[in-house]
Amino acid sequence: MTEVYSPTQLKSAAAPQTSPRKRLNDRWLTFGTFALLLTTWALTTGMGPWDPIIKPLFLPSPALVVQAFFQLLENGFQGKTLGQHVGISLYRFSVAFFFCIIIGVPVGLMMGMNRRFRAILEPPIQAIRPVPKIALLPLFLIWFGIGNLSKIIVIAAPVFPLIAISAMQAVQSVSEKKIQAAQSLGASRWTVFSRIVLPASLPGIFTGIRLSISIAVTMLVAAELTATSEGIAWMALTAAEFLATNVVIVAVLIMAVIGFGLDRLFWLIETRIVHWSGKESALVTQTRNRLSSLAISIFRAAQRPPYRVRNRHL
Amino acid sequence: MQIEPYDCHTRCGPAEAKLSINGVSKIYGSGSDSVQALIPMDLMVKEGDFLCIVGPSGCGKTTLLNLAAGFDRPTTGTLMIDGKEISKPGAERGVVFQQGALFSWMSVLENVAFGPRATGHSAARARELAMDTLRMVGLDEFADKYPYQLSGGMQQRVGIARALTNDPEVLLMDEPFAALDQQTREGLLEEIRQLWNRTGKTILWITHSIEEALFLATHIVVMSPRPGRVCASFRSDFGLSQDPLISLTPEFVAAKREIFELLKTPSVQEAEVT
Repeated sequence: MTEVYSPTQLKSAAAPQTSPRKRLNDRWLTFGTFALLLTTWALTTGMGPWDPIIKPLFLPSPALVVQAFFQLLENGFQGKTLGQHVGISLYRFSVAFFFCIIIGVPVGLMMGMNRRFRAILEPPIQAIRPVPKIALLPLFLIWFGIGNLSKIIVIAAPVFPLIAISAMQAVQSVSEKKIQAAQSLGASRWTVFSRIVLPASLPGIFTGIRLSISIAVTMLVAAELTATSEGIAWMALTAAEFLATNVVIVAVLIMAVIGFGLDRLFWLIETRIVHWSGKESALVTQTRNRLSSLAISIFRAAQRPPYRVRNRHL
Repeated sequence: MQIEPYDCHTRCGPAEAKLSINGVSKIYGSGSDSVQALIPMDLMVKEGDFLCIVGPSGCGKTTLLNLAAGFDRPTTGTLMIDGKEISKPGAERGVVFQQGALFSWMSVLENVAFGPRATGHSAARARELAMDTLRMVGLDEFADKYPYQLSGGMQQRVGIARALTNDPEVLLMDEPFAALDQQTREGLLEEIRQLWNRTGKTILWITHSIEEALFLATHIVVMSPRPGRVCASFRSDFGLSQDPLISLTPEFVAAKREIFELLKTPSVQEAEVT
């Protein structure tokens, strides 16, 4: 009755029990996958003792890609340095993402807390959600001009509803018991919101944010399709026109690194802030599948009548 | 040591009652979908009573607790605490849940200090009060741990400490030990008995375990389902006993059998009908 679990024990209790040795073996297997891919790439593109099986025009060898990367670093691309291209793309991405979070999260929280607010905002958001946002790009160009604004808006268009709705669902799935416990301890409505509903929703909010990252990177490519002459995705698209496959691959790899890096960054922030997430014994499996279940629940939310109130006590 | 029938409606006058339940019924839903969770009932709980409500699932015992806590409103009748009508949750009625009601993002100390903070004490005072209760339930050295770092039994003790720190008039306990293993539960039941002896709190305890009710209670209300209603009530001596092994005595077993027969009857009748 007096046993206390140490943090490390807890981690292994949440994940399937594996010995360090087995986990090391798994690492090697993963490493092997990448090594095999890279070797195949190298051997088929001219780095082997035989002639390239795939022409550099279609797939340049890893060495050529690395070389292209250093050339781009040195000479830039079409009058701008590589850093400027990456910078402008990151700027478009960050501004869109920043506003989606600082507006989308509060809007989602309010939709989760207040049924009237939900009745007003959820139907239009749900109605916009299935519209392919890339199709709106021409419209955004007319409305917001060919500057950065139209790009930022096309990135924000799919991210905003996702973040708002995941925040709303995070609020709705806060355990009613916890709210009742706080109320019977004398908490006011505001205290219940700020100290119970908000922290309890954080894991769900983070899941929405992390799901949005890959979507936002995808939209970045769409945004830089036309009406710009800078940005990392534009660089890939333009290089493709000149059949400079090595530059295309460098740009694609940079975007992959950006997407992966941002996901890791938010994951780090998440584990710092919501350290309890996934550790409530009864909720372990549920939370482990959070990413997939959120996607499913968002899909379900679109089908369910919008005015139902799940937490009676809010 | 024995149990004897008593009239739970007239245990005392409504004026003396700590918690009084007058003609309270609850119907969920409306029209043809409505379910009568509770048919009108009266129940008086006097200060210092340890009242256990025992019954199978669907007998309305949790409904009754939710009404007393103010989480839900009765369809008819009124519930009063110290003569004041209950209309919403309040700090004078501490609630302990089955499990999963601790605030996972707060340390044990912050969980327990939540009540005094919410009722207007300063942070320092709230801390002090929380440490006092934690010491009382023997968890002071775990003050800085988070709930997920504790075993199930310790989590429930935190839940009890949290409810106690507000010094509530009545403690409402909704099967707090139902999810624990047998050994842990027995240890905690003994602790609850001592806690009640020390604090003299009025406790309304919901359980489906006849043994738990006999072990703890001074008064036992037996409820039966479909629709939820009181089918018998007993005054009990076993809760006052200091003997941790009281449940092994023949008197205890006889009392257990008496209540068991009561609870068995309706379902047997039902089985015969169908």
